[in-house]
Amino acid sequence: MSVSVQTLGARPQAALPEPPFHHWTMPDGSTWTAFFRFDDGYLLRFPELADFRVSRDGRTVVAWPVPGVSAGTLEHLHLNQVLPLALSRQGRLVLHASAVEFAGLGVAFTGESGRGKSTLAASLATNGARLLTDDGLQLSWDAGRCWITPSHPSVRLWEDSQSALIPREVEHAPAVDYTVKARFLAGDALAFCDQLQPLTRVYFLGDGRASSLVIEPARPAEALVELVKNSFLLDIEEHALLTWHFDELTRLAELPIYYRLDYPRRYEDLPSIREAILQHAATDKNDTP
Amino acid sequence: MNLSDKVTIPPQVMARMVGDDTVILDLASGTYYGLDPVGARVWKFVVDGQSLARVCELMLAEYDVSREEIERDVLALVQTLLDKQLVSVGA
Repeated sequence: MSVSVQTLGARPQAALPEPPFHHWTMPDGSTWTAFFRFDDGYLLRFPELADFRVSRDGRTVVAWPVPGVSAGTLEHLHLNQVLPLALSRQGRLVLHASAVEFAGLGVAFTGESGRGKSTLAASLATNGARLLTDDGLQLSWDAGRCWITPSHPSVRLWEDSQSALIPREVEHAPAVDYTVKARFLAGDALAFCDQLQPLTRVYFLGDGRASSLVIEPARPAEALVELVKNSFLLDIEEHALLTWHFDELTRLAELPIYYRLDYPRRYEDLPSIREAILQHAATDKNDTP
Repeated sequence: MNLSDKVTIPPQVMARMVGDDTVILDLASGTYYGLDPVGARVWKFVVDGQSLARVCELMLAEYDVSREEIERDVLALVQTLLDKQLVSVGA
């Protein structure tokens, strides 16, 4: 499965004839993404940043940046927002999750924005594991197993995580206009895995209020709710696709791989947290509490 | 709301059994509600299009509890789902 992308010239965002059928909002209530439906597909509008036209089958994307918006911003929006939504039109499950490979295991971390998905993935990928994705976790089924498809070989981090985790020699990608997060490219110091890996653990990240590391099994019903909250789906009003999406997430939730993970967010604790997670991830389900 | 009402389920609301639980979910809003096996049985009858009075009759035939208790529990469950906008109720 792939998505072809074409970038056209910059243009202002003209008013559209119909109101959006859906929108995502920022914490301050302003619109982050407005979703418009047309006969042949969708238009995703990121106010004052860019418009993306996604074909109905999710196979082609055309992008128009707003004048003055950088190419790096456009790529960022495409990789992190538009591509997962386009893939959802192709029947691909995509989660807001980071993932690493370790000893042949695919270990994913999901949770609300700001809970440390990228930080954990970067910390692991600079210390023995290999990055599979820092967001937009693509999943597919084959031979009864769920597999992770590697995505872009880079990781985005807030400034405090950058200085704590990323060696100086790791290459930066171009800066973007809407976030102070920086993107670091995989290489010798930030290992990347470019092959499919089986999904063997999913950790739902807590809010950091735990006074020490906590790893607890999550019931399948809890897992289903978390998976729904953290999955991408472009057209929530198309009933057949909605049904398929929910069925797939239910199938995924039945896997015995889900845990709630919380720990104090202190960089100095990361080595011991990493070690505990990798040890837990490598332990057979039947041996874990 | 009373027992002669019928409950309808919005198209974006779905329920699936996962493990031992049933999860009802509004995929548009992300609102969800977990049901135990008894609640899941009520949901099954509601999905089948029964009036609340008929749901209570069917539950009475399956569970050894009083009519008052069944009616109270069914109405309470539907009110909870109504509050969460997971169902709508009408005559």
